[in-house]
Amino acid sequence: MTTATARVETIAQPELDVELDAVWRSRPGFIGWLMSTDHKSIGKRYVATAFIFFCLAGLEAATMRAQLSRPENGLLGPDTYNQVFTMHGTTMMFLFAVPVMIGIGLYLVPLMIGARNVAFPRANAMGYWVYLIGGLLIYSGFFVNSGPDAGWFAYVPLAGPQFSPGKRVDIWAQMITFTEIAALVASVVQITTIFKLRAPGMSLNRVPILVWTTLVVQFMIMFAMPSVATASLFLAMDRLISTHFFNPAEGGDALLWQHRFWFFGHPEVYIMFLPGPGIISSLLPAFTRRPVFGYPALVLAVIATGFIAFGLWVHHMFATPLPQLGQSFFTAASALVAIPNGIQIFCWIATIWSGRPIFRTPLLFTIGSIIIFVIGGMTGVMIASVPFDSQVHDTYFIVAHFHYVILGGVVFPLFAGFYYWWPKVTGRLLSEAAGKWNFWLMFIGVNATFFPMHQLGMEGMPRRVYTYLAGTGWGDLNLVASIGALVIFSSVVVFLGNVIWSLRHGQIAGANPWNADSLEWATSSPPPSYNFRDTPVVGGRAPVWESGGELPVMTGLARDRQQVLLTTVLDAEPDSRHDHPGHTIWPFILAVTIGIFFIVLIFTPWGMPIGTVLGFIAYARYVWPKKRHDPSIIELPRSVPPAEVPR
Amino acid sequence: MNRERVVADVSGLPTVVFGPRNLGWWGTTGFAVIEGFSLALCAVTYVYLRKNYIVWPPEGTKLPSLLLPTINMGIMLASLPLALWTKKRAERLELGPVRIGLILSSLVTVVTFGLRIAEFTALNTQWNSNAYSSIIWTILGFHGTLMLIDLYDTIGLTLITFLRMESKWFPEAADNANYWLFTVLVWVPMYLLVYFGPRWL
Amino acid sequence: MMLLQAPHYAQQSMIDPAGTKAGAINDFWHFLIVTASIVTAIVFITLFIALAKRRRPADPEAPGEQRSLTRWVTGSVAVTLVIIVVFLFMDFRLGRAIATPPQRTPLRVNVIGHQWWWEFQYPDSATPGNWISTANELHIPVGRPVILRMSARDVIHSFWVPNLSGKKDLIPGHDTETWIEADSAGIYRGQCAEFCGLQHAKMALLVIAEPERQFEQWALGARGAALAPADSTAKAGEQVFLTGGCSVCHAIGGTMAGGTVGPNLTHFGSRLTIAAASLPNTKGNLGGWIVDPQRIKPGSFMPPNALEPDQLEALLAYLEGLK
Repeated sequence: MTTATARVETIAQPELDVELDAVWRSRPGFIGWLMSTDHKSIGKRYVATAFIFFCLAGLEAATMRAQLSRPENGLLGPDTYNQVFTMHGTTMMFLFAVPVMIGIGLYLVPLMIGARNVAFPRANAMGYWVYLIGGLLIYSGFFVNSGPDAGWFAYVPLAGPQFSPGKRVDIWAQMITFTEIAALVASVVQITTIFKLRAPGMSLNRVPILVWTTLVVQFMIMFAMPSVATASLFLAMDRLISTHFFNPAEGGDALLWQHRFWFFGHPEVYIMFLPGPGIISSLLPAFTRRPVFGYPALVLAVIATGFIAFGLWVHHMFATPLPQLGQSFFTAASALVAIPNGIQIFCWIATIWSGRPIFRTPLLFTIGSIIIFVIGGMTGVMIASVPFDSQVHDTYFIVAHFHYVILGGVVFPLFAGFYYWWPKVTGRLLSEAAGKWNFWLMFIGVNATFFPMHQLGMEGMPRRVYTYLAGTGWGDLNLVASIGALVIFSSVVVFLGNVIWSLRHGQIAGANPWNADSLEWATSSPPPSYNFRDTPVVGGRAPVWESGGELPVMTGLARDRQQVLLTTVLDAEPDSRHDHPGHTIWPFILAVTIGIFFIVLIFTPWGMPIGTVLGFIAYARYVWPKKRHDPSIIELPRSVPPAEVPR
Repeated sequence: MNRERVVADVSGLPTVVFGPRNLGWWGTTGFAVIEGFSLALCAVTYVYLRKNYIVWPPEGTKLPSLLLPTINMGIMLASLPLALWTKKRAERLELGPVRIGLILSSLVTVVTFGLRIAEFTALNTQWNSNAYSSIIWTILGFHGTLMLIDLYDTIGLTLITFLRMESKWFPEAADNANYWLFTVLVWVPMYLLVYFGPRWL
Repeated sequence: MMLLQAPHYAQQSMIDPAGTKAGAINDFWHFLIVTASIVTAIVFITLFIALAKRRRPADPEAPGEQRSLTRWVTGSVAVTLVIIVVFLFMDFRLGRAIATPPQRTPLRVNVIGHQWWWEFQYPDSATPGNWISTANELHIPVGRPVILRMSARDVIHSFWVPNLSGKKDLIPGHDTETWIEADSAGIYRGQCAEFCGLQHAKMALLVIAEPERQFEQWALGARGAALAPADSTAKAGEQVFLTGGCSVCHAIGGTMAGGTVGPNLTHFGSRLTIAAASLPNTKGNLGGWIVDPQRIKPGSFMPPNALEPDQLEALLAYLEGLK
């Protein structure tokens, strides 16, 4: 790289800002909105869409709680109930928890690592549209009484052609395909972004922990999603063209599905959950006024969890025939995953212990998260035991367990993150008073809803039942749980009210309202379309605190096109410059053709040729380069220019 | 934060780099990992289904033929030096040889893809006969899809080198060769599994 | 008659064990809940002190401060690891202890899962072809292990009687095996634990554990053919059963009825419940079930039967007489 002598400029450079904005900003209007490849727009869309699905899944949960509030209730019949619980699980897993974390990562990661955009902005935009199509597809089915009804896990043979005729499960399987494509695209985008686009000086041991968790999660997606993607392909083929993957009569195997589904399904739990601790580790410094304690331990814990997560899947199958030795291995792995999770919790407590806690809403949600997650973690170790699990497996005890884990590990950190980064995204703070109501209602509601379920499970209440007999004695605790669900509902209403209020009346935030330490707080709120005027240079783990109000930067990226700086993988030394293609409509159109491919396939095999042809046309336009106006770029070097020799 | 301190200037950094220094390499590698792992999972499925049978292939199913698939495997392996040559020329930014390499690669891929379609008849069974047939059809089809994507990319890239060439497409040509290497090499174990699995397992 | 006192057998619970396996698991649960409560309490108290304490280090990153924090975190991790190892040790010991039944001559029963009822067959090597086939009520002798050989006809089900034992799946294409043993006489309710479609919620069963002698008596009766109709009404009911649709799906030993789609009804009158332990076996309930099963179990494969009142009356008399 070129060495330049250090010079100090104290700058307001309006003309540079205007120039950069002209290159990076999304075009106006609806078409411009469809064309945007700005990671901030895509990230916001992911989060907003996922939040709408969160509300829908919440309404489905509320409907179930209404049905179960008393024995032999007639509000929902079994057919509707089965659709509703399948939609609740499917939506929460595939359309909310994973996408919302993808979205948060897409918004924050480039800002946290000082980049102008993600690595493959077009693919990134396409991923969002594919996800949206998947969500719209399954909800269209649901609203015309063709919602899936075989559970979010779709066990065969129940989900197979013989016991689930009609299109319900086909729609489910294709929705899986869509969300897999979106997640896989996002994983390639984010891994490349984190490895190649970090600000100069941000070596891997200086990367914010949320970025680390995002990186680990993307690797997990890369190895977990192919399992369910191929499994759902097998299921779709069994249903549509009479293959026999899961048909025991022709040599297929029902357990094959379970292995493939849980080889994805258990890592999936950590894919949803790991960003949560990442959020907590990233916001704790701002609310304890010290860097998070035990950075290396936290990073190693996250990586260890990522590995162990692939050795747990069989603990979802403890009631199936398995050799004893295999069971012992999976029990040990399931119990030992408590160690890296324990390390994280101990490090957070140590951070709070030695810091000066500031009791704002993000910290409240963090505390709530730790409390709820610890309870879920305790029951998690318990159910690693095969004998104990043989009793509580598929009962409300498990429902209680994983809601504690997911609410504590995903939803509470998510709300902490919402309150923390909302001012960065919108430029306005959320109301603290409403935030406290939001927190307490949710904390009380979650415990009221899910704590009694432990007892219900021990008293023998299985999951996925649309009703139960009065004589079972489960009525009272179910009623408590249903009232708790109302409290959670009211808490979400308070949150939505807070969001709407803040958009117009919230206090103006400024660049760094929490006096936080990481790079995203070094730019304005909301950030400009190009994120940073010049590339920030990082010298430690808390760049904003360390810079003392004067951010070191590197200049020299092109101003007339979308150019990003690539750095080396380990040490983030400046290495090369790369031009982004800019905003384009073709990712959207390509996503639509992918949609046509899979949706038409539900009804006729013609989906494949039609979709392929349309997809290839769209893809051609997607990659086909525009004519350049700058002749120096078109001109080809006849021999190797010395500056460009690969080293 | 309005105050900035300029410590360096990056305008002298190159814009055309190869291998892991280039973003495109990461995209190609990422998708190769995903696709390779999916194929590996199909292979695991094959072995998993094997244990449901006493005889393999299942009784009444003919063994797959070897001639056509082996010819195709041979052509694919024989094309590897071409891909490596194209890659090397691309890294030296030599447009003429890269064009020739891409044209030849396109032709090879057309031939092998055509043979791949014919290979389905060499399986000697229908996908809906039993679980064995389902998985071998799937493996063949899945890998065929990768070939089709590669074919499309190669032809597209060939056109670009003639119509819209800039130096940033050299790394793309090198990655295209990498992807063909992956497509061929990943097929070697799959070829053995599909055509010799019924004989040896 | 203890058997007729409803609804004490309507409850099922793993923390009120009445069997060898459930008892051992319940003991383990006591260990788990005590340990977990202590650990949780320590973590929460530490967290609250960390939040509330007044004295704060001036420089949290001072080397001395860092050292003491590192010591505390390392110590906590070490303690966690010890607890996990103890847990694993106890778990593996329990797992081995309940993996195989005690060395006593076991009773063998075949369990077959159907959407949405349970079939129980008692194989009898002495008189093959004269197996007991019954539905939804599993009679077992107290104090003797019972090996259940399980299979599924349609989709996956899971056999679970919490007072006696943990659950085991019934999987098409994979025969599975488990064992149960009751310590004391009683009726224990169980329920399908793997989602199996529309009526998963109403796929229950009763395990009736009786002293050995009573069990043998029951088995003797159950092995025999059905009782002949006692009076003319019941006789007419038999005709309704045989000529109406009933015998297409249901079998009654000693008659022409040999359907195997639904439960075997040879000794139907002696059963405590109908519709897979969903309703007490009373004349009124049975009438309602026969006329409109879809109201009680929507989606059930039993079709509605439009019978004349006298036909229904006769059919009910016949079925209730099949003791």
